[in-house]
Amino acid sequence: MSDSTHHSQFAENSQSCAPAVSVSNLHMSYGSFEVLKGIDAEAAEGSVTSIIGASGSGKSTFLRCMNLLEQPKEGRLEIAGETVEFAYSDKGRPVPVCKQVTRNLRTRVSMVFQQFNLWPHFTVLGNVTEVPIHIQGVSRKEAIERAEYYLEKVGMSDKRDQYPAYLSGGQQQRVAIARALATEPDVMLFDEPTSALDPELVGEVLNVIRSLAEDGRTMLLVTHEMRFAREVSNQILFLHQGQIEESGTPEDVFENPSSERCQQFLSSIIH
Amino acid sequence: MDFSWIHDPFYQSYFWQGFVNTLMLVAISGFFGFILAVLNALAQVKGPRPLAWLAKGYTTVIRGTPLLVQLFFFYDGIGRLLPMIDGIRQSIIWPLLTNAFFFGCLTFTVSVGAYAGEVIRGAMASVPKRELETAKAFGMSSWKILWRIWLPRAIQICLPTLTGEIILLLKSVPLVSTIAVVDLLRAANIVRSETFLVYEPLLLVAGIYVALTVVLTWVMHTIEKNFPGAKPQKSALFSRL
Ligand SMILES: Nc1ncnc2c1ncn2[C@@H]1O[C@H](COP(=O)(O)OP(=O)(O)OP(=O)(O)O)[C@@H](O)[C@H]1O
Ligand SMILES: [Mg+2]
Repeated sequence: MSDSTHHSQFAENSQSCAPAVSVSNLHMSYGSFEVLKGIDAEAAEGSVTSIIGASGSGKSTFLRCMNLLEQPKEGRLEIAGETVEFAYSDKGRPVPVCKQVTRNLRTRVSMVFQQFNLWPHFTVLGNVTEVPIHIQGVSRKEAIERAEYYLEKVGMSDKRDQYPAYLSGGQQQRVAIARALATEPDVMLFDEPTSALDPELVGEVLNVIRSLAEDGRTMLLVTHEMRFAREVSNQILFLHQGQIEESGTPEDVFENPSSERCQQFLSSIIH
Repeated sequence: MDFSWIHDPFYQSYFWQGFVNTLMLVAISGFFGFILAVLNALAQVKGPRPLAWLAKGYTTVIRGTPLLVQLFFFYDGIGRLLPMIDGIRQSIIWPLLTNAFFFGCLTFTVSVGAYAGEVIRGAMASVPKRELETAKAFGMSSWKILWRIWLPRAIQICLPTLTGEIILLLKSVPLVSTIAVVDLLRAANIVRSETFLVYEPLLLVAGIYVALTVVLTWVMHTIEKNFPGAKPQKSALFSRL
């Protein structure tokens, strides 16, 4: 199969590099409800990691911990050159992560959301230049050049002066990907980027993500598109009730999963 | 119907003065009231506790009392108490403090600050959280989120309601005729008392108000249509009058 030669080549690439993301013993709770129960994972630089699992298993929460939108209560996160240790103070409150670290981390890890979340009062170009100009301190001229480059990449150059309300879901998501790319991140996070799209629009977004995978971008991707995950990923993590039940290459996980829950999940998805 | 008085330059000048004063009152208190409204909303949404309570209290009191009472309170109450302050008669702002028009502007500004402030506060609450969270995810500081995303989005959302507020403001203007500001109603009353005509001067006032409302609605509608990111919409001018 041509697919499998495709990703084995990626796997070779990534093995030679240091991990871009490394998570150990990550615990996260909403109140007293523990959502993540000690996650250990690594992602090599330039690799694509897909996170799969049933609804409520903690996939989004895991991803949101990667840019500190949620604060874990325990564990260690190394990402984009920053190392963060999470801990609780004596009073049982989480010790807040230093503002500067949070900021650095967030400007180098960018996220693409299920609902696109473009800012409706900015044009396409405004959305893509917002973070470089107003957060990263890039000059307007350079930011526009960057924006034009990445809009071209996602095939949205011709809509640069349009407002998001005038775009289809697929187009909005492609702009959202350009917005994330324009920050020139070390790691990109995708939380079900195609789940809010009409079926006929899914393909155009997947094609963009596939091309990013081919460029060797480090990506963590939560998705229900199993065929796609299998095709582009170097690594699959199967999450079940806040723990990694199964992990490995797409072949390992999809063809001979050792965990029974993973087998059940895969068969329920496929049928 | 007898409109012959319209040709009298004496009455014309009263109506003209009333017309200008009306526009100035709306423009001045609309402008400063909007700034006050934004500050009010910010204080309630993001301010430290005591400031938030203060803003909430101000909004509740102003929205809970009649505008005419507020007008008398500022003009008769504060306007009469101020001269007791030592040296205030010599200060450069004294002419302002004896001016009924100033107290009209002050009262209306305070009123717009409360009503529009409540509208903006509500709109801020209705901006989808995920738009703000996205900005946060990209490392935007909370003040920047406020100025670049939250507030502009809130104004975009509540602009049609603010249009309604400003039209209500326009139609509150005749209240100032009670504190001796020459507005359109006062001009009409002068004509009425001298010519003993009951309806005609009032008809003119009504006609001018309708025209002003149409123009103001059109202006606001144009602003709404051209506000960044406005959704495509059909012309709704007449449906909203
Ligand atoms: N803000 C929150 N407050 C309390 N509980 C939450 C919150 N967000 C998520 N949860 C709970 O945490 C658990 C994990 O949620 P999460 O959104 O990470 O799941 P998911 O794997 O992304 O699911 P889905 O596939 O439906 O997106 C769920 O049980 C959910 O109800
Ligand atoms: Mg989710």
